[in-house]
Amino acid sequence: MKAVVKVDHLRKSYKDIKAVNDISFRVYEGEIFGMLGPNGAGKTTTMEIVEGIRKADSGRVSVLGIDVRKNPRQVKSNIGVQLQTTSLYPRLTVAEVMGLFASFYPRSVSIGKLIKLVDLEDCKKKRCKNLSGGQQQRLSIALALVNNPRVIFLDEPTSGLDPQSRHNIWGIIEYVRGKGKSVFITTHYMEEAQRLCDRVAIVDHGRIIATDAPDKLVAQHFQEEAIEFELNRKLDNEDLSTLAGVTNVIQENGKVTVFSNTVPATVAALLDLAKQKGFELTNLYVRRATLEDVFLKLTGRRIRE
Amino acid sequence: MKTFRVLLAANAKQFVRERAALFWTFVFPIFFILIFGAVFSGSMEDVSFDVGLVMEDDSPVALNLSAALYQIPAFQLTSGERDAELQALRDGDRRAVMIVNAGFGESIAQGQPANIDVYYDPTQTSSVQILLPIIQKVLDNFDRALSGTAPLIHLNEETLQSHSLRAIDYLVPGILAMALMQLGLFAVAPIVVDRENKVLKRLGATPLKRSTMITSTVVFNLIVAVIQAALIIVVARVVFDVPMLGNWFVLAGFIFLGTLTFLALGYMLSAFARNEQTLMPLLMIVQFPMMFLSGIFFPLEMMPGFMRPIMDVIPLTYLADSLRQIMVESQPLHSHIVNLGVLGGWFAVCLILAVRFFKWE
Repeated sequence: MKAVVKVDHLRKSYKDIKAVNDISFRVYEGEIFGMLGPNGAGKTTTMEIVEGIRKADSGRVSVLGIDVRKNPRQVKSNIGVQLQTTSLYPRLTVAEVMGLFASFYPRSVSIGKLIKLVDLEDCKKKRCKNLSGGQQQRLSIALALVNNPRVIFLDEPTSGLDPQSRHNIWGIIEYVRGKGKSVFITTHYMEEAQRLCDRVAIVDHGRIIATDAPDKLVAQHFQEEAIEFELNRKLDNEDLSTLAGVTNVIQENGKVTVFSNTVPATVAALLDLAKQKGFELTNLYVRRATLEDVFLKLTGRRIRE
Repeated sequence: MKTFRVLLAANAKQFVRERAALFWTFVFPIFFILIFGAVFSGSMEDVSFDVGLVMEDDSPVALNLSAALYQIPAFQLTSGERDAELQALRDGDRRAVMIVNAGFGESIAQGQPANIDVYYDPTQTSSVQILLPIIQKVLDNFDRALSGTAPLIHLNEETLQSHSLRAIDYLVPGILAMALMQLGLFAVAPIVVDRENKVLKRLGATPLKRSTMITSTVVFNLIVAVIQAALIIVVARVVFDVPMLGNWFVLAGFIFLGTLTFLALGYMLSAFARNEQTLMPLLMIVQFPMMFLSGIFFPLEMMPGFMRPIMDVIPLTYLADSLRQIMVESQPLHSHIVNLGVLGGWFAVCLILAVRFFKWE
């Protein structure tokens, strides 16, 4: 597969904080590549360096074969960008803002089709200040597509949106990938990374700690499944980790996650223990391990506390 | 070029859709002219004072005097009884009451000095300053006519200008200069808002050149300046008959230079403000002293001497001076060349500092 974004040994510090600390990765043609990590992990800084709006301290970045440091304008002509915060021209209408952005590029797609794609036909004459959060986000994604780019960069595209709006945006992103374009997104939503991304890089403290397809990442780190339940009192981890099939135990505020490679045996043993010690098990369910579990295992904490 | 045109149109749409900007740019200066014009252009013919006249003597001389008083256009005379008129004065219905005492005619006939009493309220300063001299003059004339002597000295009033410069003539070019200053200074505000909202950052992710963006903003503001100036000149002409005597191209040149200077000053100041909330007070602090120390509202000679150094530095003084010279041929403070030099100097320094310190993020 052909790489449209190549990043090698990227570094960027602010004062004594290493925001990006030796990051290398590739984004391939026609894939949705996600950077998953907590706020402040260095995702946005990395993305903005690749977009050519921030300068790296060191490292090499090329987009579509163009060196970003040497030819930032040429890169900008060929990519689509959506920034995290977007409150564009409150007094211009949706169609006017799109027309304005289209005028910045040598080539652009039909505004009418784009408005249809992001489902803003009903409000194309609405001023931007009157748009809902989801509509504004769809507009800013439309602006990222206005020059028919081959690579699209979306920084937290569904941050703060309701589930319905989030699904709308996922639909647009998948459609764009269907057209053979590459999409590079950052997110701190596990579900988004798992559901949307072809490949995910897990980022923490300015470093990539794992990169692969979401399922493979989970499979690599967990053969077992997770049993979750709530307890009305605190148990020693020891009591749980010695149960049949248990590989790992995590207790947080009365919520317990037990990883097991033989779920039926573990559940049976757990119920026995409860009867024996006289405590109550509630909300017990079994699920497959997720990216969240991978992040927790690799970093010792959750993405959002 | 297409980018430039679309940006210019976007600027214009945003501008006309913001009521506050429209008000400050177009309505506010016109308000200023209308209000100050109404205050300053009032001549004696338009002002009349309610004056009570009490005739306690019915000699022919007294009647002649009464007739003479009725001739004065500034007086709105009411005849009445002493007590009623004095009460009216106390009630504020009269500005003054004149009483021609009984025996007035008799005294004059005998060649004795005769008295006329004038009652007025000293807290009404206009009565004291305007009314009493008028009354005095009327009585002097009347006196002279009675004694039959002609005035030996006559005062000829002449001004230095080829035409007389009224207060409003002095004021309008100054208001124009002030409006251009406000336009230029506050033009940076939308850009600071765009910076705060990360719009500038978003534009930085497109191939749009910063120079194109800045140029479109500058050209847009120059267009607004021309519209604003035209509006002010037309209103002043139509309502107060303020002339435009000079060369239109020279006027346009100073309008452009003034706008550019204050645009650069605004951009420079925005470097010291993180957001709109800190920018606005900063612009106010800069614009108010300029408004009052640049001789827009009153000639600089009226200001206390210790303020002279400030007045001699601020660019608005020089812009207003040139606009005044061009429009109404006022007495120059400085020559156009000096004004051009000072404005150009301000423009260059502000531009350099703005380019050096303006923050895009």
